[in-house]
Order: sequence, then structure tokens, then C-alpha cells
Amino acid sequence: MSSKESDRFISTQKTLDILYEMSQLLNAQLDKETLTTCVRMIESGVNPEALAAVIQELRRENSALAGRAPASAAPQR
Amino acid sequence: MSSSTNLLPTLESLVYSLVPASRNDEPLKNELVAHCQEILTSRIGQSHEPDIGHLADLVKRQLLQSSPSGTASLKFTNLLSRLLDQPVLSRKQASIQFLHSLALSRQPSTLVPFLPSLAPPPPARASPLQSPLEKPPLPKSTAKSKAELLREYREQSGRPHLPEHLLLRDTLYLLQGISGKYVQLSSQSDSNQQEHRLEFVDNPRYVISVPTKTLIHRLSEVGYLYSRVDSFVRAREGSSGVGMIEQSLCHHLQTKLTEYYRLIAVLESQMPSVNSSGDANAIDLREQETGLTLRRLDVWINEWRLRMRMMSVCVEGARDSQGGALVNLIHSYTDNGDPFVRKFTDQLLEEVSKPFFATLHKWLFSGELYDPFNEFFVSMDPGLAHVQYMHPSSLTGNINQLANDGFVSPDQDDPRNRRGGFAIWEAKYRFQQDMLPMFVGEAFGRKIFSTGKSLNFIRYSCHDSDWVVTREKMSNTGGSLKYSDIAGLERSIDAAYSTASQRLFDVFLEKFKLLDHLSALKNYMMLGQGDFADQLMIALGPSLSRPANTLFRHNLTATLETAIRSSNAQSDPTDVLRRLDARMLEYSHGEIGWDVFTLEYKVDAPIDTVIDPDAMIKYLKLFNHLWQMKRIEGTLSRGWMRVAGGARTTFLRLPDLEHSWHKIRIAMAEMIHVIKQLQSYCHLEVIECSWKNLVEFLNKREGDLDAMIDAHRTYLDRLVKKILLLSPKAGREESVMNQVKDLFAIVLQFQDSVENFYNFCLTESTRRDRKLDSDRGLYTGPEDPDSSLVDNLPRLLRPVNDYGSQFSEKVQSLVAALQTHPDLDCRFLGVRLNFTEYYRGKQQKEKEKEKLERAETATPR
Repeated sequence: MSSKESDRFISTQKTLDILYEMSQLLNAQLDKETLTTCVRMIESGVNPEALAAVIQELRRENSALAGRAPASAAPQR
Repeated sequence: MSSSTNLLPTLESLVYSLVPASRNDEPLKNELVAHCQEILTSRIGQSHEPDIGHLADLVKRQLLQSSPSGTASLKFTNLLSRLLDQPVLSRKQASIQFLHSLALSRQPSTLVPFLPSLAPPPPARASPLQSPLEKPPLPKSTAKSKAELLREYREQSGRPHLPEHLLLRDTLYLLQGISGKYVQLSSQSDSNQQEHRLEFVDNPRYVISVPTKTLIHRLSEVGYLYSRVDSFVRAREGSSGVGMIEQSLCHHLQTKLTEYYRLIAVLESQMPSVNSSGDANAIDLREQETGLTLRRLDVWINEWRLRMRMMSVCVEGARDSQGGALVNLIHSYTDNGDPFVRKFTDQLLEEVSKPFFATLHKWLFSGELYDPFNEFFVSMDPGLAHVQYMHPSSLTGNINQLANDGFVSPDQDDPRNRRGGFAIWEAKYRFQQDMLPMFVGEAFGRKIFSTGKSLNFIRYSCHDSDWVVTREKMSNTGGSLKYSDIAGLERSIDAAYSTASQRLFDVFLEKFKLLDHLSALKNYMMLGQGDFADQLMIALGPSLSRPANTLFRHNLTATLETAIRSSNAQSDPTDVLRRLDARMLEYSHGEIGWDVFTLEYKVDAPIDTVIDPDAMIKYLKLFNHLWQMKRIEGTLSRGWMRVAGGARTTFLRLPDLEHSWHKIRIAMAEMIHVIKQLQSYCHLEVIECSWKNLVEFLNKREGDLDAMIDAHRTYLDRLVKKILLLSPKAGREESVMNQVKDLFAIVLQFQDSVENFYNFCLTESTRRDRKLDSDRGLYTGPEDPDSSLVDNLPRLLRPVNDYGSQFSEKVQSLVAALQTHPDLDCRFLGVRLNFTEYYRGKQQKEKEKEKLERAETATPR
């Protein structure tokens, strides 16, 4: 039973590795943790494209915040 | 979305990790999460088909764009295959889709060609929030694009683009072949060919851009094709004398056009409504989405373009071909890989071929050609259309007339004979290859042709219309013939063919007693009935030796009658005997009865379909030869009887001539042998063998009337070829035959000289008797002077010996010729003639003799 569990863990790990490598290749700029979260969401039935839009949106938000908060004022494109 | 509550924690963690600032800012976090949920429940990317192959392709293309070396895409392929091997994820494709979308958004330049084709742009009302996403992802450059510059220039120059809805209306007109306000159709008569082109009306206020013009050009093709099809249909409707197939084509086209009108009506209702100001901007946004544009029109019309093209091709074809050829033309498009074209043509063909099948049905089951517009692949010879075959009553009139004329040339009644059954069968209907629809196939076409012909023949030439009518009624209960049911068609053709042929055979063999006639021809014309031939020979022989101009037809017919009465032939049916006739061929000066006498067998319709006039000529030829042979045989046997009988009575008293008579007997025996062999060859090997084949064929009852004619023809040709010993070498066909004729002539001359010699012997013998009587003191008559024997003997014997040796030589060369004859049976005749190698032996003997003589002349030295 435990061996099965560990097998499952290993293969999950492997899958994530592969996906991470893919994301590197595609220059998606996701760290492993975020990727794991995303994959979990997709597995639970979230529309992938919508999720991609969400990530995009959050990034944009982040950069907007970053541009607003620090006094160094990174110029917004 | 029910799962959104479950997703909340994950979404939160996502927000935390991506926007670190939100960790300390609760309202910001909440707002972001809410916004994210909004996006997730929106309709983004819901219209995807789960196709991993396509997706992988897209990703690879993208990778290739970013790194043209191809290593990245290779790596991706590798990763993908590894991923697919992993058992854990259930929605691998979705994950990849996610990565792909993410990557795309990071590469704005590639977004344009791919994303719009995959997902429709999110509707404006989808998110009320003025989110940054709604801004175009394209980075707005500060510099204006060239197109914008141009547009601005145009606006400045005061000539904006013509609003699309105006063009749209014009295009709808164009689709119906009507000129619009801004775009007009114009046709120019350029030499013979009409050239059609579009003209855009030059308007100082507006311009029409080149791409729009091209689009309109494309659309107007349909309009042009429409006007062609329409004008064709209209022209055909009005004119008379249009073939039925063409009419049905027109009908089909008309229904298609009606569908087309319907489409145009629907399209027109979709046209954006313009308010009175005519301002293009007034069209509300909603209309712009659902209403008609030139591009949408193109899509709508696309299928019709293909259909119109097909129709236009059919119309074009209908101009120069008609009937079956037209069906053929349409059928040539059914073998198309495009299912659309195939379906269209199938439909069209089903419609168009209806009249064809109606004609076919009539032809196939009742043998009537109902084809007012000459569209069927069977055509009737108009000259023979109303010729029915000559009824026997008219034939008897013919005979009477012939009898009154006395010795008219036989050719005189030939042209009328040629109008008989054979001519009807051969020439009344013609098979027209180019009108035959291809889906029927040549072999079946022939069968159909033959079936209808047979039925027609049975009906009109054999007066058996009852049967045909019954058949027709029976066939009507079966299914009708259709294009879509080719297998059924073939089956019914086969059935109709076999019944019709069967019936024709029955009619010929039972009603018209073809076999009786054929065997009569064999018995009388080819002297198969020996007792009749002998009787005729005996009865006619003396009168035939007289010059031809002293013979009279009535004598001949009377003699013929006698021969029939006194032989077994009298038991033959009277119908057969009635047809038997004796007459003289055309004669020239100096010919005797033997040369011109011939028997004749008269056949009338419909039997003369099989035994046609040409065949009759061949029979006459055969009769001539065989009769000649019979004559030689008769002469020889009479001569032999005299010689053999004379040996007992006459020659006993002439012992010094015994040797000469012996030689004569030898020569005669040789001649008898040759003639007997020739006769048995003709009768046994040729006639009977061929007859057997013919009878076997007739008993089998396979094939149609054509097959029957063919069988008879091969039978007769075989007879002619073998009996007349014809060789296929051009120019020398009759060389062997001429040798045989020479032989016959020699035999006759030999016989004459033998006759002379015999008479001489008879007188000599009487003289000697008288001498003996006077020696004994009895006076029986005045005494002749002696010495005639010595004087006359060489004069009389020389021709006898000459002819004897000539005959031998001739036979020898004949045997040599036969041995190299290409025909096997003829060669076999050579073997029979030379069975004991008598003739070869003779040749060798002569050679040996020559050698011996040479040796003798050589030895004295």
C-alpha cells in the first residue's frame, strides 16, 4: 500500500518536472510552486485559457502595484 | 460555477504568490480574488476541441518562430511524449493548453495569427469591469500605422470608402445578374465571344478599395453563372423541339434556381437596415455583429458558387450534345472525389436520366423505340421505319411473276429481297456509341440494343405481338428502372435479354422451322440426300448435255418434280418442297446444260434474316461444285459398268486389245478413287461435321439472333472454304480449286475418248464376228475391208493414254498442293488421296528411272 503511495508520489513529481521544463521552454515564467497550484486547478476542471488570463492579470496587477508603491517609480509601459 | 468555492483557497495562494503585496493588504487580495473568479467564470476559451495533436502543432510552430533552429521544438516533442506516458494527470491537454496560452500572451507578436482563429474575442458585455484585459493586447505604438495614415489622407481629401451596406446591396443585385448602382455588369461583344466584365462606377465622393473590388469580383462570378443558367433555361422553355432529357435538365436547373432565389431572399432579409440618413455609423453595433457583410456573403454564397459552376458546365454541355451524350457528360462528373460535386451530379443525373429510363423501359420490354427527339442510343433508320417484312402472300406473287418472265436474271429480284428480314434486322436500328450513357456500359448497351431489336423483330417481323404485349404487361408489375439502382437495372436487362433471345430462338425454330430449312438446304443444295441426287442426275443427265439455249425452265421443273416423287424426298414437308426450284443461270454462247443448271431454295422473311441473300449465293456456289462432282462420279460409274461388263462380252473376242483395256481400267480406277475420296471428304468431313456444330448451337439456345446469324455464317463459311479448298493466300485462293476443276475436265475428256475406243472395239468385234460367220458360210452382212484395226488403233488409244497420264500428273500436283495447304482438313484430304503413298512413290520412281537412264548412258564408256 505504502509502496503504491510512494510510486504515485514519484510519478507526480516526475510529471511536474516535465511540465516545469515545458514551461521553461515556452518561457512561461512560472516557478514550481505556482505551476503546481495551476496544474491542480486545471485538474479540478478550471478552463486553462481562463486560468492563463488570470495569471496574466495578476502579473499585470503586481507590476502596477510595484510601480505605484515604491518611490523609485518604475515607468509604466 | 459550483467548484468556485472549492477553488477559493487555491486561488488565494495563487494571488499571494504572484502579487506579494496582497499578503498584507486584505481588500486588495479580496478584490483580486473576486476579479480572478470573474475571469474564470467568463467565457474565455470555451470553444475548444480536445485535440492534443493540433495543440502540439501550434506550440511547435510557436517554438519554431522563436528559435528557428528547431531544437526547442524537438525538445518539446520529447517532453510531450514523456508527459503522455505519465499516469497521473487526467487533463494533460488542458495543462499544455494553459502553458501555451501563457506563452502566447508573453509573445504579443504571435498572438495575432493564432489566437483569434481559436477563440472569439470576449464580448464587450462579458466583463463590466474596466479591466486592463479589455485593452487590446497589442501594444499601442505611438507612431501611426501606414494604413491609418492613408485613411487620414483619404478623409482629408474628402473621398472616404464607400460604405459597405451600399456595396452589399449592389452585390445582392449582382448575384441575380442585375447591375447595381455602384457596380455594373457590362457585356461587350468582342468578335464572336461575349466578354463579361464588372464596371465600378466612378464616384467622385467615394472610393472602393482594391480588396473590396476583388471580393465583389469573386461574388459576381456567381451572378454571371446564374445569368447564363437562367438564360439557358428560359431559352429552352420557349423553344420547341427540345429533347426530353434536356427538358428534364431544365426542370432540375429551375428547381435549383428556385432554391437559389430563396437563399438570396434570406440574405436580403439579413441586410443591415439603414436609417433614413443613410449614415453608415448609424447602424447599431448589434447589426454589425449579426448582419450581413461582404465577407459573410462570400461564405454564404460559397457552396452555391460550386453548384452554379456545375450547372453552368451542364448548360454548356447541353449546347453541343443532347440525349445520351448529355447524360454521359453529366455522368463524367460523378467520379469526383469531392462528395459535394458527387452528390450534386448524382441528384442531377437521377432527374435527368428519367426520360432516358422511360425510353429504355419501353425499348427493353416492348421493343418499341419511342424517342421523338433522337436522344436514345438506339436510332432508327428512317428509310426502313415503315418497312414491314414481305408477307408470304406477296412472295408468291413474286414467284408467279418470275415464272411468267421465264429466264430472267436472278439479280432482278435481288433488291427487293434485300428489303427482307435480314435488312430489317441489320439496318432498321442502329447502335449509337456516343449516345450510350456510361453508367450502362458497352456490353450492357449491346444487350439492351439486342433485346429491343429482338422484341421488335418478334413483334413486327414474326407477327408474334401477343407474346410481346403479355411480356410488357408482366414487366410493368416489376420495379421501374432508375439511375440510382444500377444493379437492379442490370438484373432486369439480363432477364429481359435472356427471355427475348429465348423467345426469338423458339420462334425461329418452332414457328418458322429454321432447322427444317437448314436441313433442306443441306439435303438438296448440298446433295446430302443421295437418292434424290441420283434420281435427279439420271433424269436430267441426258438433257443437260444439250446446249443451254435448248433447255427450258418448265422442263427442268418438271424433271425436278419427277426426281422428288421418285425419291424419298417426297416425304419432306410440302412447305420445304414448295421452296425448291430448278432454274438456269445466265448463260452465254456455247455453254451446255451442265454449266448453267442450278437448284434453288427460296427462303422468305423472317427466315431470310438468318439465311440472307449472300448466304444463298454461297449455297449456289457449293451446289455448283458438288453437282459437278456428282456428274463426274455418275459418268465414271457408268463408264466403269460398261468397261467391266464389256470384259465379259465384247473383249473376249479381241484378245489382242486386252492389254489396252487393262490399262484403261487401271486409269479409271484411279479416277474413281480420287472422286470418291473428294466426295467423302466433302460430305463426311466437312458438311456433316459443321452441321453437327450448328445443330449443337441451335439446341443450346444461347445468345440472340445475332449469335444465330453468326453461327450460320461461320457454318457456311467453313463449308465454302473447305469444300472449295480455298486457301487464304491473297490472289491464289482458287488455285487448288482450279486444279480440281481441271481434273474434272480431264475425266470427262478421258471418258469421251474411252467411249470412242469402246465403240471402235464394238465395231471391230462385230466385224470379226461377221468374218467368222462368213468363214463358216453364213452371210450376216457385207464384209468390211480389214486393216482398220492397225490404222485406227494408235489414233484412238493415244488420247486415252494421254488423258490417263495427264490425270495422274494433275492428281500428283494436287496432292502436293494439298500437303502444303494451310487448312488442316484440306491437308488431310491430301493424305487420304495419297494414303498408300502411291503418288509420292511415283515421283520417286520417276526420279529413280532418270537416275537409271543417266547411269545407262554413262556405262557404255
